[in-house]
Amino acid sequence: MPLKNTQIVSGAQTKFGNLEGITLREMFAEAVDKATVDVDIPKKDVQAVFVGTFVPEMLVHQGHTAPLLVDYAGLRGLPATRHEAACASGATALRSAIMAIESDIYDTVLVAAAEKMTSVSTNQATEALAAAADDEFESSMGLTFPGVFAIAAVAHMQKFGTTEEDMARVAVKAHKNAATNPLAQFQKEITMEKAMTPRFIAWPLKLFDCSPISDGAAAMVLTSKEKAKEYTDTPVSVVGTGQASASMNLCDRTELTSFEASVAASRAAYKMAGLGPEDMDFAVVHDCFTIAEIIASEDIGFFEPGEGAKAVRDGVTALDGDRPINPMGGLKAVGHPVGATGVKQAVVVYRELIGDAGANQVAKHDTGIMHNFGGTGASCVVSIFRRADA
Amino acid sequence: MTEKPTIEQYLKNIEAHDFQPFKCLDCGTIIAPPSGTCYSCGGNKMEWARVSGKGTLVSFTVIHVAPDAFQEEIPYIIAIVDLEEGTRVTGRLQGFDPLKPEEIGLGIPVVLDYEAGKSGRTYLSFRPER
Repeated sequence: MPLKNTQIVSGAQTKFGNLEGITLREMFAEAVDKATVDVDIPKKDVQAVFVGTFVPEMLVHQGHTAPLLVDYAGLRGLPATRHEAACASGATALRSAIMAIESDIYDTVLVAAAEKMTSVSTNQATEALAAAADDEFESSMGLTFPGVFAIAAVAHMQKFGTTEEDMARVAVKAHKNAATNPLAQFQKEITMEKAMTPRFIAWPLKLFDCSPISDGAAAMVLTSKEKAKEYTDTPVSVVGTGQASASMNLCDRTELTSFEASVAASRAAYKMAGLGPEDMDFAVVHDCFTIAEIIASEDIGFFEPGEGAKAVRDGVTALDGDRPINPMGGLKAVGHPVGATGVKQAVVVYRELIGDAGANQVAKHDTGIMHNFGGTGASCVVSIFRRADA
Repeated sequence: MTEKPTIEQYLKNIEAHDFQPFKCLDCGTIIAPPSGTCYSCGGNKMEWARVSGKGTLVSFTVIHVAPDAFQEEIPYIIAIVDLEEGTRVTGRLQGFDPLKPEEIGLGIPVVLDYEAGKSGRTYLSFRPER
């Protein structure tokens, strides 16, 4: 059954990138302000806060982040709970907020997420990210996060003929879209030649196949259908959401060319919404690596297994294509402050749906889908939003 | 041996160059790395098993950027291998030049070996079957 009551009435993100001199709580508060007081939603209307962060313990030596961040953002006293699901932390926070409104516990809630990653070295950040994989059986062998997706890429190339050039095309598209997104970490286009620069991170993945290390925050306000009109003329309805988990270890998966949690979460979201992939006007998917976008586009049913690379090659997923994917630049070029990403993705879908995406506006924008997955693909959340007047 | 297999002992066995997977007492499924529950039948009683060490290369990558603990080992190869007993494991891959990954063919037969890493750890490892 489609969800009935939850509507998004605001959504905002900070600039993503190397936010030197700005700490975790400051960027969190900036995103909260942009999603509340800056759009005339009083903070006193917020009844609870759902927070997403990944590993602030390793990145900024800070645990128990929810009350800390919420206090700094002027929301002291409210129920505040941190959600952690590696790169899917943001979307799990959002999903809890959706369930809280659907269950009538609250009318108006805030979802906010942040990560500060540039405070440590690249090697330390790689180690922190590796905490999202199985430490006893895989990370301890030296398998890194890019390595996990490289193994999937090699399997996909072998099974379907996907090429390194296909992956590079995803990066070129991401940078092209991000060039007109002022909040992106990389606001510049790159050539195929540049994307193919053989600077390997985990062969066959090269530097430009990988999302960067980033700082940033994002926030959104969700409320009941009845209250939504007090805040905006263009509310967006949450019509479906699905979540699934899978084995942490790659070696416990039978399929390496598809992520089973993505398939299960998207099917659950479609079923709840009473919609199918053909009803989606565009998608925002988790392109932590270029191959991840190709596989995600297949897993959420936009394309048949093995057809994702062809879709990129043919421009189908471009901003002006028939099935735009990551129209504002994705994790790859906008940045990937891990815990914040899922909320940022929801903000992108929201802005596209209400026609607020500027130069990155997709032509058809009634219904959009977001796909956020965590770690080795062991967590996945997929949610579907539809403009309330559509 | 009737002792209940543990993860600690599983890892110690690898350190001692004596890899032993779990085996489900109920249905006989070979399980590695360890799982608390058999992924075939749901059983939770395990015993130790032996393997031939023969397997097939399923996929791999060459790690060039790694956490500090592995800095002295880069570039190195991580492989996914199907053991002939029916379980899939992750390990290092030896016997190839990590800078010539195009020479490594998926589906090739490999055999179990061990590798002493500069990190001080002993890795489950594989090399091509000659």
